[in-house]
Amino acid sequence: MELTELTECVTSLSCVVTQVAAGLTIGMLLFLVASGLTLIFGVLGLVNFAHGSFYMMGAYFALAAYGVTNSFAMAVLAGTLGAALLGLLFERFLLSRIYGQDVLMQLLVCYGIILILDDVVKIVWGADFRSMGVPDAFRQPPFLIGGGIIPYFYAILFGITALIAAGLAYGMGRTRFGRTVRAAAINPGMVGALGINTTIIYAAVFAIGAGLAGAAGALSAPIRSVVAGAGVSILIESFIVTVIGGMGSIGGALAASIILGLTRSFGSIGFPLFVEGAMFVIMALVLILRPSGLGGRRG
Amino acid sequence: MSDSTKAGLRRRGLLGAAGATAAITGFPRLGFTQPRQPIKVGVPTILSGRVAQLGISSRNAMQIEVDAFNAAGGLDGRPIELVVRDSRGTPAEAARLAREMITSEGCEFLLDAEASGGGFAVHEVVRETGTVTLHINSETSSLTADPRQRFWNAFRVARQGVHDSIAGGHYAAQVARQRNLRRWMTISPDYAYGRDTTAEFVEFARSFNSDIQVTGETWPRLFQPDYTENITRLSQGRPQAIYSCLWAGDLVTFVEQASIFGLFAQSQFFAVNMADYTTLQQVRNLPRGVHSGNRYLKNFPDVPGNLAFANEYNRRFNVFPTNWSWQAATGVRLLTTALRQVGGTDPRAVAAKLKGMTIESPFGAEGSVTMRAEDQTLVGYAIGWGTTVSQDPFVENMQKADWAMILRLEAEWKRAKGWG
Amino acid sequence: MGFARDAGWALAALAVFIGLEFIGLRSAGFVDFVIRFATFGLLALSLNLLIGTAGLVSFGHAAYFGMGAYAFGLLMQTGQWSIPAAILAALAATALLALVVGALCVRLSEIYFAFLTLAFQMLLYSVILSWISLTGGDQGLMGGIPKPVFLGIDLARQEHLAAFGIFCLLVSAVILRQVLRSPFGAALRMLRDNPDRAAFVGLSVFRYRLAAFVIAGTFAGLAGVLMSLYVSGAFPTFAFWTTSGEAIFMIMLGGVSVFLGPLVGTAIFLMLNDWITALTEHHGLFLGAILLVIVLGLRKGLLDVIVEHWRARKEKQP
Repeated sequence: MELTELTECVTSLSCVVTQVAAGLTIGMLLFLVASGLTLIFGVLGLVNFAHGSFYMMGAYFALAAYGVTNSFAMAVLAGTLGAALLGLLFERFLLSRIYGQDVLMQLLVCYGIILILDDVVKIVWGADFRSMGVPDAFRQPPFLIGGGIIPYFYAILFGITALIAAGLAYGMGRTRFGRTVRAAAINPGMVGALGINTTIIYAAVFAIGAGLAGAAGALSAPIRSVVAGAGVSILIESFIVTVIGGMGSIGGALAASIILGLTRSFGSIGFPLFVEGAMFVIMALVLILRPSGLGGRRG
Repeated sequence: MSDSTKAGLRRRGLLGAAGATAAITGFPRLGFTQPRQPIKVGVPTILSGRVAQLGISSRNAMQIEVDAFNAAGGLDGRPIELVVRDSRGTPAEAARLAREMITSEGCEFLLDAEASGGGFAVHEVVRETGTVTLHINSETSSLTADPRQRFWNAFRVARQGVHDSIAGGHYAAQVARQRNLRRWMTISPDYAYGRDTTAEFVEFARSFNSDIQVTGETWPRLFQPDYTENITRLSQGRPQAIYSCLWAGDLVTFVEQASIFGLFAQSQFFAVNMADYTTLQQVRNLPRGVHSGNRYLKNFPDVPGNLAFANEYNRRFNVFPTNWSWQAATGVRLLTTALRQVGGTDPRAVAAKLKGMTIESPFGAEGSVTMRAEDQTLVGYAIGWGTTVSQDPFVENMQKADWAMILRLEAEWKRAKGWG
Repeated sequence: MGFARDAGWALAALAVFIGLEFIGLRSAGFVDFVIRFATFGLLALSLNLLIGTAGLVSFGHAAYFGMGAYAFGLLMQTGQWSIPAAILAALAATALLALVVGALCVRLSEIYFAFLTLAFQMLLYSVILSWISLTGGDQGLMGGIPKPVFLGIDLARQEHLAAFGIFCLLVSAVILRQVLRSPFGAALRMLRDNPDRAAFVGLSVFRYRLAAFVIAGTFAGLAGVLMSLYVSGAFPTFAFWTTSGEAIFMIMLGGVSVFLGPLVGTAIFLMLNDWITALTEHHGLFLGAILLVIVLGLRKGLLDVIVEHWRARKEKQP
């Protein structure tokens, strides 16, 4: 523990600004992945162990689109839609066959798809890691606020992710589709009885969830190298977020993502060797004290 | 630690190939004579996952060298055949593959192209089987420096951590003196290579320049997808210089993120693993003036043989070689030279010939490299440091490290470790 | 009695293996295969106590595999321990780890359970990677594991190790089978099929599941010990999620409902793995495709299908 450094940091404006901005940005990217995971769980009752692969595919699709169009907007769009489409195919042709079966089957189908996608990207894009690089338009000097540093591109990332989060909240809370989805999460039989096609809802929710992961992959492609097998480490963190936030709770996922983001950024100063451990400790505490998570339904 | 109680070195029958065909040398190599039994060389390596490039670029380079050897008539007409298998980085698979290559597939030699974990697993297998093995990718110093790890049939044909650290420490100390860089911080991956290499670098840098102070460290975990929190930590510490032994994709991620935080405007950056083409070409906005050790550069050493190798490699595989490539190529050259000098494949004779052997090499600091007899590891290869520029040749002002100094300090380091 | 019959079968199987080793089939390839079969077979068998019997799908079983390997390797490297004593101590350490993780995980619903076990396994993996002074980090435990001779058994010789591995596997199989037949096993099955009724009868879900978790973890630890003997070291990948994935794959290939299913699955998996590795470098693509075909086509293990088919035929006959 380096508590003196942590105290120094939280009492200095520049340090607080830098760390909070960094923590929020990391947290929001994590939120995109985790919200898809938690949404799929909430509605389909399924843990998508292959979720990290959609993050990875989003990054690769973005890379390919950026190579052709040289436009970051197109890259993000391609990453999101590509991952969503892939998710749709995955749900329709593979997952839908094992609904109602036990967790083991879900796990195995996801495991199979992770193995296959990791090899497919290697065949298509080569074995080496790839990098998109920050687009020239975003290569501006960082903002300096109160002596703290906020990179221009991080501000952009935060803006986009916040917009997506707001859109998601609106879509789930205020639209007919959102209400149907929430109803389906609570009582699929009832929704089916009302003449609503749950098959379409399931497919749509899975596509949205995969698309969110793809968006996170695409958005972070400029600053993180794109590589086969990148999905797993993202997956573990989004799991932790989902547990802390409560399975199926998007609001909980947002809170948990931001908590983890801030834990990372301040932890790297206060307890640099225990940042990973701290995330697990938070998760264990939540499990013991409030097993349904911050935003989870009790019961 | 008690020595393993292996009941002697059991050498398994080598399919009788070596003896049987060696006896009929002298026949003209044409007509209806059967093709000579090939010399099989097993290559356990990693061809999938995050470090697939390790195996692919090693295999490519070996293939170039083996093709050249075979085209020149092989060993009295016996060509070399490479048996390359993917362990996926799993040491247990590496051990299994190595054993299977030796016992079932009749491989007489191994060119072990595993990363360090798998490399040690293969090391234990051949300690038992007595197969002559050249480790071409394990840079961990202890593999050969620690006498307990040493036995007659295992050799290392790779750069070695401590050599890099001495060269890097010396270069860094000089730059630090010229530019008065006192406050240093480090960012390296949290695993054995990262910890050892960083500790050695700091130790040697401080021994050359005692003004250097390390005021902070940050240790991201291996393959961490994001370095933001580590970068803000570095940026809070306001160091004058930063050292890192991150590599490949992780280094690229770090450089991309750190440059948008403006970190390199604030601090000099020393990255021992920057100068490898896969890394240099992937960093989209390579900052100017990053100090880097040479992993592999086609113009360092600036000799025709090196450039020819890079161009031939690029012609065949459409990319430039990696650090692993020059090591693999050197491994094949050492092995084939020893085979030709022995005139056969007897393991004891080949191992004895390899010990202390010097061959001409475009990758040598002075035109040659040597398999040092005392600890069976490669010395004399080119080490240097320079600064990056954004376009090809990517690195300029290369300063060649002095091997006399490296050897002297390495000996002291070994003594201090109790390995002298 | 069930025990006597199982023990008899086990003895017969051991005799067959040793016989095979001494007549003709003494090739190194075969011996290697036997060692790996014993190791992974034990891992799969122990995992099936959780998946098949208790209905707890663990995706983190490799943690105990790794723990057993490291604990054993570290003890042996001190040079102070005999092999049997070190094995017992390693198993105790593994059981302790399983107890701690299990206490946190078994209360939870099965989906939470699957990925929490995964998360704790990844934590252990990170610890092994960063605690270099103890574990050697990614290089693993270096310098080989000394194998002092005990009771005339020299595990440095592969043939001895193979026979020892098979012995461990068979002893474990007999014990695990007794566990399944005991009232404890019946209770686990009831908890799996009808947890409400079990709670009604007054069974403590927590205690039974935790006990199953610890037993399974301990036998996985023994598998880890065999693995460390085989490669003469211990490496972080032992505790990586892919090892857990492979163990689940093996169970799936064999089947969850038949006791020996995981062993059949292990044999198939190993042969499949060796064949694919020799054939292609796109290992994941092939293995993943085979997995999907089996899961989506059969929806159960191979042995499950065969047994069901056999039973159906037997019923048809008068």
